[in-house]
Amino acid sequence: MPRGGTIPAVGEMSEGPTWAVLRPSFDAVARPFHTLTDDDWQTAWEDPLQRTISEMQDAFHRGVTRIVVVVPTTAMSGGASYAHTSAAAEAIRILVKSAARQWGSAGVTVNAVATGPADFGIDPLIAGAVSIAPRALATSDASALISFLCSEASGDVTGQTIVVDGGEWM
Amino acid sequence: MTGRLEGRVVMVTGAGQGVGEGIARRLAGEGAHVVIAARRADTGEPVVNAITADGGSAVCIETNVTDRVSVEGCVRQTVERFGSLAIMVHNAFAGGVRHRLEDADLDRHWKAMSRTAVWGSLYCAQAAYPHLVAAGTHGRLILITSPSGIEGSANIPLYSPVKAAQRAIAKSLAREWGHHGITVNCVAPVAGSPALMTAFDRNPDLRNALEARTPLGRIGDITSDIGSVALFLASDDAGYVTGQTIVCDGGSYLGL
Repeated sequence: MPRGGTIPAVGEMSEGPTWAVLRPSFDAVARPFHTLTDDDWQTAWEDPLQRTISEMQDAFHRGVTRIVVVVPTTAMSGGASYAHTSAAAEAIRILVKSAARQWGSAGVTVNAVATGPADFGIDPLIAGAVSIAPRALATSDASALISFLCSEASGDVTGQTIVVDGGEWM
Repeated sequence: MTGRLEGRVVMVTGAGQGVGEGIARRLAGEGAHVVIAARRADTGEPVVNAITADGGSAVCIETNVTDRVSVEGCVRQTVERFGSLAIMVHNAFAGGVRHRLEDADLDRHWKAMSRTAVWGSLYCAQAAYPHLVAAGTHGRLILITSPSGIEGSANIPLYSPVKAAQRAIAKSLAREWGHHGITVNCVAPVAGSPALMTAFDRNPDLRNALEARTPLGRIGDITSDIGSVALFLASDDAGYVTGQTIVCDGGSYLGL
């Protein structure tokens, strides 16, 4: 377990002296794309991105050396009626790679953990992103993985997305 | 012999220069009626003149992709003039200046990129939607993204998320609109755009470095290389391709 306390499996942003786990809030309401208003897009796209950028900056300036961001696999799969959610989640997932590239020389690792859509309140039956999973999971327990990524032992792992969903998304 | 897009109506944003111009010229060369949706007519009109000089069909409509009303107006004028809109290509982009992710004043970098790439995708896709539905299996939405939207960027870190968002939108709309027969895809090019050429002028070593890391050893041509990939996706040949990103960069990115 990293220094600084227990890391929740999936919770709000939590942090220790050397690590930060960010769980951005996403708009998980299914909305057909052609019905999205500017206010919807502000809430679903602009706000989560700006919040996450700010939280990543805060972690960096605080001297954190391990940053982990939790996103839904909907980032990679897309989702019918979830374009707004998917866009924000995928943007944050790729932002992790940019941060890993820029902050690596400062000894900071930045990684993403992707868990199933149900963990975020996204309806996988509407999103249409469900595949035949080797092991179906109602929810994902990523705590052990997050714990590793927050530890000193993960120092050579950065810019990665590791999926914890029982093999639903490959 | 008729072209592969004979009579189809295409709108290309950011078509006053660079990749957008290359796509517009390539599609017009295959018989499409092309709307050059440019921020300023003084950049769009020369492209119209070049297309018509080659025997093609094009008009310029001044369009600001960060403004919903402007995009809707462009689509409305397009349909009034040509009777339909089958293919929407959203390429317009502003920003992309080098920055550090820890800097305090990121908003000035973020805003232009988010508004043009992501909000622009929202407006273009929504405005085109009823017309793409009407076009049925000819309906196409093509978003121009970047390899940086897949692999991140050390120099322009906020460029990557906005380009990633476009890929996610394409995958989502491929799922959502597929039952209409509409396909939604992305092209991720590296090409000799004016911005890249300016960068080469400032730093000649950059061209050498970029070419050296490119298996094909050259920078893509906006029309013959990038325009041809967009043409494929716009054509009936790609009717079973949707939700994909075609990376068109001479082999620099091989991570898929």
